[in-house]
Amino acid sequence: MTVDTASPAHRSGSIKRFFERFPFLPALIILIVLLVLNGIYQPRSVSMIGITSLVKTYLALMLLAVAQTYVVYAGDIDLSVGAILSLVNVVVITLMQQWGGGALPIFGAMAAGLAVGLACGVVNGIVVAAFRLQAIVATFATSIFFTGLALYVMPVAGTPAPTAFWRTYGGSLFQVPFVFYVVAVLAALLFALTRTRLVTHLLSVGDDAPAAFQTGLPVTAIRIKGYALCGLFSALAAFCVTGDTASGDPLVGGKMTLFSVAAAVLGGSALSGGFGTVVGSVVGALIIGLINSLVYFIGTPSEWQNLVQGLAILLALMIGVLVGRMARR
Amino acid sequence: MSKLKLSGVAKSYGATVALSRGDLELEAGEVHVLIGSNGSGKSTLCKIVAGSVKPDSGEVLLDGNPVTVTGPQAAKALGIGIFYQELSLAGHRTVEENICLPDLPMRGPFIDRKALSQRAARYIALFDGVTGQGFSADATVDSLRADQRQLVEIMKALATEAPILIFDEPTSALDRSQVERFFEILRRLKENGRAMVFISHRMDEIFAIGDRVTVIRDGATVGTSRISEAKPAEVIHLMVGEQEDLVERQAPASAAQPSAGDAALTGKHLTGPGFADVSFQVAKGEILGFGGLHGQGQSAVLRAIFGASTVDSGEVLLGGERFTPKNPRQAITHGIAYVSGDRGRDGIIQGRPILENLTPVHFLRERLFLARPSALRAKAQPAMGSLRTKFGGFALPIGSLSGGNQQKVVIARWLIDRPDVLLLDDPTKGIDLSAKADLFSLIRELAAQGLGIVLYSSEDAELLVNADRILVFNGGRITRELTGTDRTRYNLYEAAYEAAA
Amino acid sequence: MMSAVAFFKQPLVVALALIAALLLLGETLSPGFASGQQILRLLIVAALLGIVAAGQNLVILGGREGIDLSVGGVVSLSAIIAGNLMDGSNAGIPVAILGCIAAGAFFGLANGLGVTLLRIPPLVMTLGMLGVLQGLLVVIRQGIPSGKAAPGLSEFVTQPVLFGLPGIIWLWIAIGLFMAFLLKRTVFGQRIYAIGSNEHSAFMAGVPVGVIRVSLFVLSGVFAAIAGICLLGYSGSSFANVGEQYMLPSIIAVVFGGTPLAGGKGGYTGTMAGAVLLVILQSILTTVNIDESGRQMVFGATLLVLMLFYGRGKALRT
Repeated sequence: MTVDTASPAHRSGSIKRFFERFPFLPALIILIVLLVLNGIYQPRSVSMIGITSLVKTYLALMLLAVAQTYVVYAGDIDLSVGAILSLVNVVVITLMQQWGGGALPIFGAMAAGLAVGLACGVVNGIVVAAFRLQAIVATFATSIFFTGLALYVMPVAGTPAPTAFWRTYGGSLFQVPFVFYVVAVLAALLFALTRTRLVTHLLSVGDDAPAAFQTGLPVTAIRIKGYALCGLFSALAAFCVTGDTASGDPLVGGKMTLFSVAAAVLGGSALSGGFGTVVGSVVGALIIGLINSLVYFIGTPSEWQNLVQGLAILLALMIGVLVGRMARR
Repeated sequence: MSKLKLSGVAKSYGATVALSRGDLELEAGEVHVLIGSNGSGKSTLCKIVAGSVKPDSGEVLLDGNPVTVTGPQAAKALGIGIFYQELSLAGHRTVEENICLPDLPMRGPFIDRKALSQRAARYIALFDGVTGQGFSADATVDSLRADQRQLVEIMKALATEAPILIFDEPTSALDRSQVERFFEILRRLKENGRAMVFISHRMDEIFAIGDRVTVIRDGATVGTSRISEAKPAEVIHLMVGEQEDLVERQAPASAAQPSAGDAALTGKHLTGPGFADVSFQVAKGEILGFGGLHGQGQSAVLRAIFGASTVDSGEVLLGGERFTPKNPRQAITHGIAYVSGDRGRDGIIQGRPILENLTPVHFLRERLFLARPSALRAKAQPAMGSLRTKFGGFALPIGSLSGGNQQKVVIARWLIDRPDVLLLDDPTKGIDLSAKADLFSLIRELAAQGLGIVLYSSEDAELLVNADRILVFNGGRITRELTGTDRTRYNLYEAAYEAAA
Repeated sequence: MMSAVAFFKQPLVVALALIAALLLLGETLSPGFASGQQILRLLIVAALLGIVAAGQNLVILGGREGIDLSVGGVVSLSAIIAGNLMDGSNAGIPVAILGCIAAGAFFGLANGLGVTLLRIPPLVMTLGMLGVLQGLLVVIRQGIPSGKAAPGLSEFVTQPVLFGLPGIIWLWIAIGLFMAFLLKRTVFGQRIYAIGSNEHSAFMAGVPVGVIRVSLFVLSGVFAAIAGICLLGYSGSSFANVGEQYMLPSIIAVVFGGTPLAGGKGGYTGTMAGAVLLVILQSILTTVNIDESGRQMVFGATLLVLMLFYGRGKALRT
């Protein structure tokens, strides 16, 4: 089949390859435009303080979007990330409260939180990959289970986090806001992960699972690892929520699940798998944050804010999908 | 002692027997050709060896020891590498990543990019000069042409450095220079003592590279012989069994030359993706053949006339009236029928009952709103009967039928309401000989009823026997017209290879 | 002839058997659970979910990862519009019904066009639309106190109208018959299965793929709107985001009814059983004396176990 498939793909080869390598570029452009608009309507929003507060508020969503992206890589989806976040949030708070607010207990509680996130992720992975249940409904079911666990750990919202914890998260170190250290560590972590075998394996599974299987990749194990990674990052997101809100809430993450999917799509990841970047998802989360703040800054009447946000996000999602597809053609 | 020995390997999917008794003995240092018609079980046998299909019974001996290949990973560990006919590539990954994917080189916790590039480069270099434009180590597989993807799959199989290599139709999309390079590599590997299985449908290739040949027919191994002692005719005889001459025995094409006045379908200077400046005319009652090597634009023209792809310029006349195909719906309402050889993609509606597979065209042409099964069955029965379709009942799922009968159902869907023009795009691909015979006798009957028929077939014999005229395609253009006594195998072959030679 | 094993593997049979088992369990745990009155109450709740699931079912049957996450938003929107339009008076019912169905159809159309013309994956499109709908709810709500259900509507939903069954049950039965007719006896229905099973084959056989798929989303919006009106009648007045509880359960009801998310096979009769099953399960959990956390854990775990009864994905090695 030489003639039939002689595609015109080579015509715009260099631009195409550029987009292929940096699929988050369209999202980045949207992000910059939004930043500029934010700056025009509220100059203070692009100041150090403005950016810091934006990052502080949306770091959790960024991490949750990253978590989602690792399963989306493999063509899966995880509708329980919000519930995992909530569970880790209440577990960490409860442990910190029981063990006291010192440094060691705080780190101990965080380690326990990571273990909880990991366990939840592994459960999801086994249910979806080993039991071969449909990811959307299966992770919805686990999300109900995880929410139940969170309610068991802390039936009512409100237990405060130790002062040292949220002071550190909201504070500064050598005049640099603490969250920026988090962002730097996160960037290094994501960069390192990108170079691991697991990420390439996840993307290959998402591209074509039967082909990956025939290649000799342990597809089931890879998908479980993807969910495990997702659980870990959901736990990290929970730490940020805990730092930001300074209290425990067994339902805090519920609303964030769908936003994490939206952020991944905004960032150029394909829900069908095989294509995407975690950087894009981080950018996608920031886009959601900037849309929300911009709607506020341009003086939208309060009742209209949600609608305008909804429309803007829908529009951005559509642009994200369309541009992403054009780039891949 | 054989490097690999399979005896009595069998595999069924429900009622469908894919492989009933697969035997194979593979020696180190040989290229062992596996042949058999489509659906005879070759691919199933290969996949069992490669671990991606679980056999129901049978024995696999490796170096004389019985082994159980529990999966592709186990096969890899046992030293078995495979080229999959349907390819096993990750589309968004680069060429070099795909080549090394089975075993990514690591440096601590990270992929060793440099080692990966170097390793991939060794295998890419094997095909230096024949990979074609746009091929590079960092190109994504999705951006490559079909032949280039096939090369990547070859490189990926070679990169396993496995002692046993299986190539399931590795050359189907390759051009001559690529095939020659591939054969050079195979010969070198042979000298190094590798054991290789090679599947191809091209006789010339089989005789050029093979040492021994094993023939599979209807899921069972029928025999093995040395290539040096075999003749093509004998091999074909083994392949097709006693039904050998069924196609050839058909009545020769009618000599009647319909006058130009009653043209059913005319194409004037048609240009589009995959074809250029194609002009032809098919009269009512005529069977016009499209010939040439596979993928020279024949399918593309037919699909474009049917509205499934675009025509950039030129015009289509339908019974003298100008017709601009926009989509299949429009073509169907104008009386065009199109049967694709790719049933899985274009034909059957998998998982649905036979009746639902028969009715969609009828719904459209009659503009129906209600689907009354009894009335529909009455309509469909004659169409199924005219093809001698064997089926247990209209309510059974389409998947319960054999490939040939599935294709008959797809064809029957066009016969409920008689079309004026019938476009056949390699309609007999992968169906058994008796189904082919039923199909062609029907086609001739339809032509006698005054339908204009265009037939593209990848099997030259079908064209030579059934077509009144043959237009030979090469590189998307019509390069030769064969009429009357010119319709010989030699002429067809020569015209097809004209530019390639 | 169907073997006994095959018979018990049919989704509808599985669902019905599970329903019977759950009723029995409920009766044992709390006598009176399976009384006629109770079952009627359960059926009303199931009907609300089942009507939403009808649209969800159609969208899923149409394949290409068809799913409608915006149904919950449409249910809420419809409940509010209906409340505002009728505002406690029977005279307003016709206008309210028309208004709600128009609104549902509009958002369904928007979803459908996004999915077919722009080829946005349904999950993304309807997720975005859900955000828009949630925003719209806030706007509609501003200042105006939410209207009340007309007495006629409340009666229709909660009081017996014929043979001791409330109107909503009859409506659900009618929808069930309509869906069965639509899917089995109309060209439209057969075309839904065709595009859901093999979109390209269907296209090549002259099925108007785009039109069908858009219609499915429109129907999904309409069914969600109808459910919204009934929900208003059930609860008397609407409150913020009442429909959210239907988004994912409507999908689960479809899956429990034997329609896989891949589409192309299944039907609505099973979905009705799936909705009843889901509602009974929830109801049992509210009758037994455990706290909210335990209830959720049991519910989530039970859903997972039940899913194992239904079509699992294909194994990679065959």
